[in-house]
Amino acid sequence: MALSEAPVRAQATAETTRRGRRRPGRRNAGSLTHPTRTAWALVSPGLLFIAVFVLVPLVFAIYISMTNWPLIGSYRFIGLDNYSAVFRDAAFRDSVLYTLLYTGIVTLPIIVVGYLMAVVVRAKRRGSTLLRTIFFLPYVIGLSVLSFITVLEAQPDSGAINVLLKALGITDGSTAWLVSGPMATGLICVLVVWGVSGLTMVLLLAGMQAIPRESYESAALDGASWWEQEWHITIPMLQRTIAMSLILSVIGSFLAFAQFFILTQGGPGRETTPIVMYIYQRAFVQLQVGAATALSIVLVIVVGLISAAQFWLLREKD
Amino acid sequence: MTLRRRDVLKLAGLGAAGAMLPACSATLAEPDVTAEGFGAGATGTVRLWCRSATQTGIQVVVDRFNAAQKRLRVEVTPVLDSQYVTKLATAIRGRRVPDIVDIDDINSMLFIYRDALTDLTPLIGELPYRDALSPGHLRLATRNGHQYAVPFLADNSALFYNRELLERAGVDPMSLTGFDSYLDAARKVRRLGGDTYGWSIAGNSPGVLGFVVQPHIWAADARTVTGEVGAQRGDIAGNETVRRTLELYRTLWREDLLPRANFSDAATAWGSEFRANQVGLFPSNYAVAVLSADEQMRNRTGVVLMSGPDGGRAFFDGGDNLAIPRGAGNASGAWEFATFALDLAQQSALPTGGYTPVRSDVATEEFRRKYAQAVAPLDQLDRGYAPPTLAYNLLFNQPDSPFIAMFRQAVFDGDIDGALEAGQNGFDQILEQAQL
Repeated sequence: MALSEAPVRAQATAETTRRGRRRPGRRNAGSLTHPTRTAWALVSPGLLFIAVFVLVPLVFAIYISMTNWPLIGSYRFIGLDNYSAVFRDAAFRDSVLYTLLYTGIVTLPIIVVGYLMAVVVRAKRRGSTLLRTIFFLPYVIGLSVLSFITVLEAQPDSGAINVLLKALGITDGSTAWLVSGPMATGLICVLVVWGVSGLTMVLLLAGMQAIPRESYESAALDGASWWEQEWHITIPMLQRTIAMSLILSVIGSFLAFAQFFILTQGGPGRETTPIVMYIYQRAFVQLQVGAATALSIVLVIVVGLISAAQFWLLREKD
Repeated sequence: MTLRRRDVLKLAGLGAAGAMLPACSATLAEPDVTAEGFGAGATGTVRLWCRSATQTGIQVVVDRFNAAQKRLRVEVTPVLDSQYVTKLATAIRGRRVPDIVDIDDINSMLFIYRDALTDLTPLIGELPYRDALSPGHLRLATRNGHQYAVPFLADNSALFYNRELLERAGVDPMSLTGFDSYLDAARKVRRLGGDTYGWSIAGNSPGVLGFVVQPHIWAADARTVTGEVGAQRGDIAGNETVRRTLELYRTLWREDLLPRANFSDAATAWGSEFRANQVGLFPSNYAVAVLSADEQMRNRTGVVLMSGPDGGRAFFDGGDNLAIPRGAGNASGAWEFATFALDLAQQSALPTGGYTPVRSDVATEEFRRKYAQAVAPLDQLDRGYAPPTLAYNLLFNQPDSPFIAMFRQAVFDGDIDGALEAGQNGFDQILEQAQL
């Protein structure tokens, strides 16, 4: 890029000298190699893509959210009624509270377990690659498949979870995990930590491998223990990566859907209904697409604000 | 050319407007069912959507239809039950509808009230057996006196019993009317000892609970949902029949008359104890209680309709209707198939697929001999009911529905007052949203 820009600049300078001062935007009109023109040419496919697949649907979604749009039949414009209804909707409020609870439960364990796994596999010792693969495998399999497996393994009397707990003498093996809100939530949280920590491990591992080995060697020479090295070197130098992992984890928890859809479908009652599941039910069970779209837009704004707050709180202070 | 911000916004606006255009005219054209020759001599293909659950039954009828003539071919597309409403609604919104739909009768209202189905009133009026058609099915297909679907197959709930166990326990099946008789019979059967239980229910299946518990309420001419569609509310908290029905099940559970596995059974094992000769009384349907059982067990099985607290009879009038969506390309062929599916020959064969006929005149002596346990609802078709509402799935069928939550809180937790109050709130909240 630098090589091609040099002659262009020289030509522009010469022309300016010949014709006197010109407005920057008018310089070298018609030239395909003009930097501004080239930049537009390069970004326009991306802009077009964003306009067609993001902006237009977003504008349309905002419009739908101001109607009583059903999945079938005619609709009418109702202004901000769907938005004002959000604040009166007790079921939505419950789903927000449940999502906050779920996010609060899983976020820290995902980071801690991911960190510990990264610590275990970061050294180049025998078996590290195998362990990395094993730890990352649940993430590759995906939450949907893991959830289907869990449905089978959580069955009273016959599922592996109950058989194991019975063999250990902890329960009688007949626990119905998915018919109790707290137990289903606990099971889902364990499943999610198991399924997602692998990604956190990979992210943190990449960060750990970028830390200069000399830092640890100097600390060791100064008599720093393993824990002191972790606390004073690894964690501070992983601050950005940890922040990113945290933000990804929180966003993922706020948008959780598949595991709840497969394991509990929001039940029993509404005890395990997170926000996205509630929105899904409004759109595709109650067929109220307008109301569901308004809820989605509120969710987008809320997640955006939470992410912005996290970025601000976790920023590196120079 | 310079692309300014204003131009980008203009383009986005145009794009949005363009995207909205197809959705502007939401109602599709209605086929003219009164046209000369409608429903006879059609050619081409009829695209039929059915519920996955009923595919086996309907495929038999389709195969017979396709074999009976060459000019018209019916193609079946099964759609998962849980996705049926959404898929059909999306197809209608996308203006690419099937020619005929085999739709769960409790979901018919959703589409009728959205002007998505063809008015079949004149065609149904011409059917020579119209008075023999299931009134419960037709009620769920009717709006303002117009019928938008025709009954096709029935999936009714009834109280099946094990003759042998009842005899050993000294219970006369004919005495099974009212909750006192139910409890008495269940206790006597339980006293037979071992793994023999008086009653069984899939206590963690919302669909099953709505299907087999509500008839007790309807038998007493009470309802859980009251009012006209569009202005409905729940009738739970002050409903004495609902309370007594929950108390019946609470007693069955507390006195250990139900198998413990009922607590978590989401219908994956529904009826397994009954078919294993371990349960005396079992509210369910023909497919689960009879079709899935072996010959020996079938011979032991009897059936009566379900009672309310002090008597009365009712059954859940479930099953499927056939409807022609507006915009159907081959509506004439679709109706020709519908009338074929309603013929006695096809209706008489429905029990082989686990369903029962929707025509009372099917119950001939031969049919009674062949399918003895499928006759009870046919003899009292007028006792069949299912609530006409736009929110049936939300109220009863979803895992997070208020009905299952109320049932479990009352029966397994023992909090009947709290369950009734929570049920009332849940019903009213959903019905209020469903009427937006």
